[in-house]
Amino acid sequence: MKNAFSKEKWAYLRYTISHPMDGFYWIRHQDRGSVPIAILIVICFSLCFSLNRISANFIVNDVYPPSVDSLEELSGILLLYALVCVANWSITCLMNGEGRMKDIAIAVGYGCTPLIPAFLIATALSHVITMEEAAFYSIIIGAGVAYAVILVLIGIMQVHNYTLGKTLQTLVLTFIAILIIIFLCLLLANLIGQVFNFFRYLYIEIIFRA
Amino acid sequence: MKSKKRIASFLLALVLLVLSVPMDALAVPYDSYNYDYWNDVVKTPAPYVPDGSISAVTLGLDKPLANPQDICVAPNGSLYIADTGNNRIIIVSGTTHQVERIITSFDNNGVEDHFSAPTGVCVSKKEQLYIADRENKRIVVLDDADNLVRVVQDPKSDVLGEGFVFKPLKISVDYADRIYCIAQNMFQGIMVFETDGNFSGFFGTIDVTLSLWEKFWKKVATKEERSNQTLYIATEFTGIDIDEDGFVYATNIDKSGEQGVRRLNPKGEDVIKKGRKANVGGDLWIDSVGSYSGPSQITDVVYRGHGIYSLLDRKRGRIFTYDHEGNLLYIFGGLGTQKGTFNTPTAIEQWENGLLILDANRAEIYKFAPTEYGSLINEAVALRHDGDESQAVPLWARVLELDENNELANAGIGKAYLSAGDNATAMKYLKIGMNRDYYSIAFKRYRSELLRQYLGPVLTGTVVLICGIWLFGKLRQRRNFRRKGGEQA
Repeated sequence: MKNAFSKEKWAYLRYTISHPMDGFYWIRHQDRGSVPIAILIVICFSLCFSLNRISANFIVNDVYPPSVDSLEELSGILLLYALVCVANWSITCLMNGEGRMKDIAIAVGYGCTPLIPAFLIATALSHVITMEEAAFYSIIIGAGVAYAVILVLIGIMQVHNYTLGKTLQTLVLTFIAILIIIFLCLLLANLIGQVFNFFRYLYIEIIFRA
Repeated sequence: MKSKKRIASFLLALVLLVLSVPMDALAVPYDSYNYDYWNDVVKTPAPYVPDGSISAVTLGLDKPLANPQDICVAPNGSLYIADTGNNRIIIVSGTTHQVERIITSFDNNGVEDHFSAPTGVCVSKKEQLYIADRENKRIVVLDDADNLVRVVQDPKSDVLGEGFVFKPLKISVDYADRIYCIAQNMFQGIMVFETDGNFSGFFGTIDVTLSLWEKFWKKVATKEERSNQTLYIATEFTGIDIDEDGFVYATNIDKSGEQGVRRLNPKGEDVIKKGRKANVGGDLWIDSVGSYSGPSQITDVVYRGHGIYSLLDRKRGRIFTYDHEGNLLYIFGGLGTQKGTFNTPTAIEQWENGLLILDANRAEIYKFAPTEYGSLINEAVALRHDGDESQAVPLWARVLELDENNELANAGIGKAYLSAGDNATAMKYLKIGMNRDYYSIAFKRYRSELLRQYLGPVLTGTVVLICGIWLFGKLRQRRNFRRKGGEQA
């Protein structure tokens, strides 16, 4: 654990953000990345996202305040993160991807890094801009999201040693896999519920007869 | 003894409980509410309260009203009631509130003529009475002494089909005595008749809008299947009114609940402003259960001056009032059997200061009087419409005392502070009033105010600080250099 948050790992995160092609490659081949840091980044991103929704200025913020629940958003984003990683891993396993689960988690987590400053800066900026300058606010968030998307794309590509075309292909399949996983989970939950109900009624029947 | 005491105290408590119910709640048998920025329902004080009714009993008529379909207030204040079932027009004086006269027949070129199911009445600026005589398939125009002016019937035009039967339902007349008529089974729009009574064309046709899904099925269906499908026809207009500039307000039943009223310019184009919610169709929350669900069915409109107009919803018996910008001002009314609630609301008019709602089934006209809350909003909105927004401030302030979350009032006060130069207070009110555009303006001014105040000192301070750091660095460098030099020496 101590190793996971070591100075070298943080330094390498910085390197990966600025040199994604090289950075993600050595994450796969030399274990230069750290899963705990990746998860920490996702958590930070979620908090910044909630912060932006609740405290961006009135001029740019059209969110119904009672609808913001940072814990709900955190669990949602973490769940989505886990889903993406699992789905991507299941697809790339079958498509000659070289990345391990660990590498995928790091690639996606590290990729979220630009979103944190983007949301923080945009939220702070929203308090000093007027409506005419609201474009700057959108540009900052847009740039952050674009950078994050590029990072995740390159991350997945380098970790699996894919070409760009094949990466896009696997990402589409990953999306389908996410849907299948959700479907299976719902099915499973339903079935478990029915089994549970069966035993519950059995119990009620026994109680009534006895 | 003890039990008697107990009973007595119980009864006393009961009496106190009954007395403690606020009188206001007893007086108003419906909910008054509005929709806030987030489309949540917000309860408001009642803008209008029931104020008695007009019926055959109060008017002292020989036989009760039978299924009356329309009412109209003349420029001189008299109320005209189309007593459809009894084939007569009743005129109620505006001053005494008693029957002035009853028109049952008129002299049609020497022959005594009668009405047959008159469903619409309208009085023009020249005090001429226009009657939509439905079953006689004509519009009768009488002057103020009940003499026949002309009869409009049997319109001829290429655009009207072969077997077209002209059955006028509702009529309205503009300042140039042009007749705007809603006819039965006429889906092409409002029929317009020139001053001389000639049919001149259709007006304000409602376009049929198909959903993507309906378009898809139309493409897929065979010709045979299509002939069995229900026709996609435009909805009919239901009610009509004309403002002082000659713009026609016409209501229709919109199945999507978005636009229950149109404001038609002289070319017949819809120029209504739908406001921020892009909705002038009554209720926004329409998914309750049973016959109570579904969009509002707007059956009549009354233009009330200064850009304010009210819509009557027959589905839930509510009256929706909008301003010229499409802001919902207030909602009141409801269906029911209590005094002040309706069974089949069919027509709405403004009489004196209050509103009149005609209930066809109960054959009764309900009067509503504005409360302080309602009249304050009416006045403030009228002032804004006329461009005297600054005078509206004390009115809005009083509205806020009655209903502190009123967004229009908050925005109105905010704008006043903005023009007075108090930007910080303006920002506070405009934010509660959810008015982004004006908030942005207020903020911009507030920001430049702050900059003007603090930018100079802050910049000077920064420059001094940077110079200081630079100097300090230089000094230390020199000292270090000296020390090093000293060691070396």
